[in-house]
Amino acid sequence: MITNLLSLGWDVNPTDPNKWFIILGVMLAGGVGAFLLSKAPTSSRRSIIVAFTFVSGLFWVLKYLWPEPIAFREGDVPRNGIEGFGKYLTDGVPFVSTLAQTLTAFLLGLGIFSLLRVHLTKISRKQKDWQFSVILLISLVTVCFFGYWDWILFNFRMKDVLVSDDPSTWTWVNQVQDILFDGLLQNMDAAMFSLIAFFIFSAAYRAFRIRSVESSLLMVSALIVMLSLMGALTFVWNSAVLQASGGNPVHFLSNFRLDTIAGWVQSNVQVPALRALEFGVGLGALAMGLRLWLGLERGGVSQ
Amino acid sequence: MSGFNADKLQKIDRRWLYVILIVSVAITLLVGKGTEIPVYPDDSSKDLYITLMNVPEDKPVFIQSDWTNSTRGESRGQMMALLRVLMSNNRKFVIYSMGDPQAPQVARDAIRMVNEERRKEGLDDFKSWEDYIELGNFPNAENSLNALGNNIRSAWGNRRRPDTTGVDRSVFESPVLANVQKVSDCGAYVVVTASSTIDFAVERISDKVNLNAMVTGVVGPTVLPYKRAGQVKGLAIGLKGVYDMEYMMKYGLNHQLEGGVIKVDYPQKPEVSLPPVPNGQTFGQGATNYLSLHIALGLMILAIILGNVGMFVGRKGGKK
Repeated sequence: MITNLLSLGWDVNPTDPNKWFIILGVMLAGGVGAFLLSKAPTSSRRSIIVAFTFVSGLFWVLKYLWPEPIAFREGDVPRNGIEGFGKYLTDGVPFVSTLAQTLTAFLLGLGIFSLLRVHLTKISRKQKDWQFSVILLISLVTVCFFGYWDWILFNFRMKDVLVSDDPSTWTWVNQVQDILFDGLLQNMDAAMFSLIAFFIFSAAYRAFRIRSVESSLLMVSALIVMLSLMGALTFVWNSAVLQASGGNPVHFLSNFRLDTIAGWVQSNVQVPALRALEFGVGLGALAMGLRLWLGLERGGVSQ
Repeated sequence: MSGFNADKLQKIDRRWLYVILIVSVAITLLVGKGTEIPVYPDDSSKDLYITLMNVPEDKPVFIQSDWTNSTRGESRGQMMALLRVLMSNNRKFVIYSMGDPQAPQVARDAIRMVNEERRKEGLDDFKSWEDYIELGNFPNAENSLNALGNNIRSAWGNRRRPDTTGVDRSVFESPVLANVQKVSDCGAYVVVTASSTIDFAVERISDKVNLNAMVTGVVGPTVLPYKRAGQVKGLAIGLKGVYDMEYMMKYGLNHQLEGGVIKVDYPQKPEVSLPPVPNGQTFGQGATNYLSLHIALGLMILAIILGNVGMFVGRKGGKK
């Protein structure tokens, strides 16, 4: 019942005139559900969450392990119980995915709630740097306000007038939204990330020193890969190699092309190392997944 | 004396390093705009070009655009190169995001910019609904890709977009998606990302589609095992990948230009011969930024050498 209600929020027919009421209803139901869970006795909370986690995980475990009928087409009837259950699981994927997406969307609300709680507390108690919290909350409200206003104008009130690719048709609201998103947020985002270049440069200068055999190997491989990224240098080097090998691309000297050496380092050193790492991470994730699924993990919300 | 100099070499004030970096890169960006640098494109970039140039005419390309402006130096160039190849060959595409909620807007901006380029060259715009469909953001990449692989009609069934008359209709009524019944009906699947969403695509749909990726230099090494295993068919990494694509868009692959010259060869696949793109701009952000990358990497190598020379000379001086 609850899951049906929740999934309505995603599966609602876009042409249904009641869609906004349905969405609002689902949001309220979700909120009430979360509130009730928060009010549940601490002793029963863990059991509820473990039960939900196990049932959710069980679906995917069965989906991947249960034999599926091959070449099963629309309208075909399962021949036996095994095929029937396999089809039941496959048909259930859209519903379960829908439910998961709806829950993910709720996380956005949870994030905003958490942000507001932390920063409003900080402002009310005048904790250190509380002024930054004020700026953050003003920015949050402003972007939400103009974002939604812009969306309403584009999709409802001025749908036939506004053209997203033609700023001459925009109102001042759309202009402000554009300045906030494209003018400010996006550029600050890019600026923040570009600062990394300076730290990498400084760190490479200070830390990349030949102090041992291992560090020498690391530096030589890094230099080869960095040089191979410089197309002009690679071109000159490779042309010289080609000339030395008399223009024969299968000559022994061709092994010393810069991109060939870099490719060898990547294929035979980097990729195997990454594979080994990923195997380790995969095994760890599997173990952790099993612990979470079976309710063996003691930390987090289940405690 | 040598000890003093060595010490200086080892302790250059980082602010000077920052100034040198920013001035050099800024000047190169301004002066070296559009400079053509001869390169040997990577084999993985060549495979991507082969995929994109061989997309069947009646099949749309699915573009999972998960980048934002934080990596626009690489990702926007990749996105625009991808769009140029598709638009130039008149291939329809579907674009959506499964990463950051900002991603759909930066993708829309990239489409608008390539359309502007085309208008300047007297070419037709690519129009929403008829030539491409933009589906917006899907939260939870892993789950969304799972649903997409299982049943595309169900996963995207509720998405509606205005048709050419402005009436909202199901995206499956558009000329772009009309013939698509399952995810494997796409001509190619390209993930443009700066994050781990490529991992989810490999896990969930690499056995169903011709999966390709355009990733940042940081993410690139983590995708290489998938490329080597054949789970990812074509791969462009970082700014070099952008420039590789632009270079092949201009000169083709295993393609004889006037005078019989082949600028980009692929000795491992001699049977392939692809021409340059038929129309539109070829060099773009890759050519604009590639010279700056040379300068930045060159400076970094120089700084490393200086630091090490200083250390060795200092040690020698200390022993004396």
